[in-house]
Amino acid sequence: MDRQAQIEFLLDHYENPRHYGVLADPSLAQSGMNPGCGDVVTLYLQLDEDERIVEVSFEGQGCTISQAGASLLTELLTGLTLDEAAALDGETLAGQLGRDIVRNRTACATLGLNTLRVAAEKWRAGEALTDTSDIVRF
Amino acid sequence: MNTNRRTPLDVEAVRADFPVLHQEVRPGVPLIYLDNAATTQKPLAVVDTMSDYYRLYNANVHRGIHKLSEAATDAYEAARARIAEFINAASHREIIYTRNTSESINLVAMTWGRANVGSGDVILSTEMEHHSNLVPWQILAEEKGAELRYVPVRDDGLLDVAAFDAMLDGRVKLVAVTQMSNVLGTINPVADMAAKAHAAGALILVDAAQSVPHMPVDVRAIDADFFAFSGHKMVGPTGIGILYGKRELLEAMPPYMYGGDMIKRVTFEGAEWNDLPWKFEAGTPSIAEAIGLGAAVDYLTETGMENIHAHEQALIDYAAERLVEVPGVRVFGPEDVTQRGGVASFSLDGMHPHDIAQILDHEGVAVRAGHHCAMPLHQRLSVVATTRASFYLYNSFSEVDRLIEALYKAKEVFTF
Repeated sequence: MDRQAQIEFLLDHYENPRHYGVLADPSLAQSGMNPGCGDVVTLYLQLDEDERIVEVSFEGQGCTISQAGASLLTELLTGLTLDEAAALDGETLAGQLGRDIVRNRTACATLGLNTLRVAAEKWRAGEALTDTSDIVRF
Repeated sequence: MNTNRRTPLDVEAVRADFPVLHQEVRPGVPLIYLDNAATTQKPLAVVDTMSDYYRLYNANVHRGIHKLSEAATDAYEAARARIAEFINAASHREIIYTRNTSESINLVAMTWGRANVGSGDVILSTEMEHHSNLVPWQILAEEKGAELRYVPVRDDGLLDVAAFDAMLDGRVKLVAVTQMSNVLGTINPVADMAAKAHAAGALILVDAAQSVPHMPVDVRAIDADFFAFSGHKMVGPTGIGILYGKRELLEAMPPYMYGGDMIKRVTFEGAEWNDLPWKFEAGTPSIAEAIGLGAAVDYLTETGMENIHAHEQALIDYAAERLVEVPGVRVFGPEDVTQRGGVASFSLDGMHPHDIAQILDHEGVAVRAGHHCAMPLHQRLSVVATTRASFYLYNSFSEVDRLIEALYKAKEVFTF
């Protein structure tokens, strides 16, 4: 993808974020923030009995990369188990967002993914997980 | 556009001294380096001086009785003397080599601070301080049960001097203040503040990281008790900084680090400290870097600090004028350019600073986006992050034009 197309792709996700909004009755909800720049992403996940993600949504505010990154992440998540989702790595993200972007703005690009991992850890630890005012700072 | 702007500097001649500036960030896009508050570029004279040391007379300093060691020691101590002159210190004994401004301030907090600040005492900071002139005092206050208070910043970007006067009571032991804000550019009236602090029985520590490189400074005119700055922000190398302290204060302070060189004599029973300044310089120092800082001071002296200051005033005046013409831009800091240095932090409606910086980078313009190590200040300004352009002696008026063009480009990309 050339640079112009890349920008348009990211701006499309920024302006028209996929799966944007709040889930009515989520299994997990977690907010994450980069304090240095104020980017925030809140993830909502609905799991079935096999811990498979059947519904996902997010809300947030901040720079293009953090929000487009979260939007792209939600597209990757549906149908994955929670473990598979937590195991997603930077490479997969880089494939979507662009390698340069992920390298230069790692904190922004991985905000959604890091938030997801915190949620997954808490789920494993058996913690109650729907208080989105409990924002984890990366 | 910028043809009526005057400067005492021959910017093209200055730029010829800085090889790093003559490059393209990608084909056809020249580098425009506007991140000087973060770090500065080095003239060939500084680079050559440091490599000469390594090529021709590298040796450890102090007590070596051979030719190379004497040459190295002479250069190292001669640099110290020239740095003392540069800030008008009374003696080279009042110039301590550290790693950077942060280390200089930590040194004072951990030695003078621990010995002199106690429970119920007050340390006066301000809302515009860099984390390095803030966090050490937070730690000291916590450790000692002292109180840390912040002099407010006014909406116009100036320090609230009336509030400072009111807050300066008999409990204040130390005023810790920046001479020039790395975000707002505000130049604080540190000489006045020092006089008032002394009258109230307090000492004053000045964070001079942004001021020493950009304007003439005189520690005796200010009557500063402590004064800290970094080599890499004044066309010198990284890894070297200075703490200036009044002699009687430094004599009374316990050492910061212990070991070789800071002793006069060691037996199995104990040690006797060395004289100033070496009491505060344990171990082998950053010799090349100290010599390099000496060369940086020479370069700046030759160019003339008044000339550099005047050049930056002209640049920031032009930049501020052009910036506010861009729809949606808000520039932080004093409107009166005589009250500020060459730092312009700004916001652009609807655009995140990271995104702005990204587009600018593509256009060759290097700026910084974020909180600039001043998160409490950004809290005070009610923004999470800003974009910052900062100028120095090798920046030109046409580079300001390029910055503005790049901002319009950024707006284009982000217009939905």
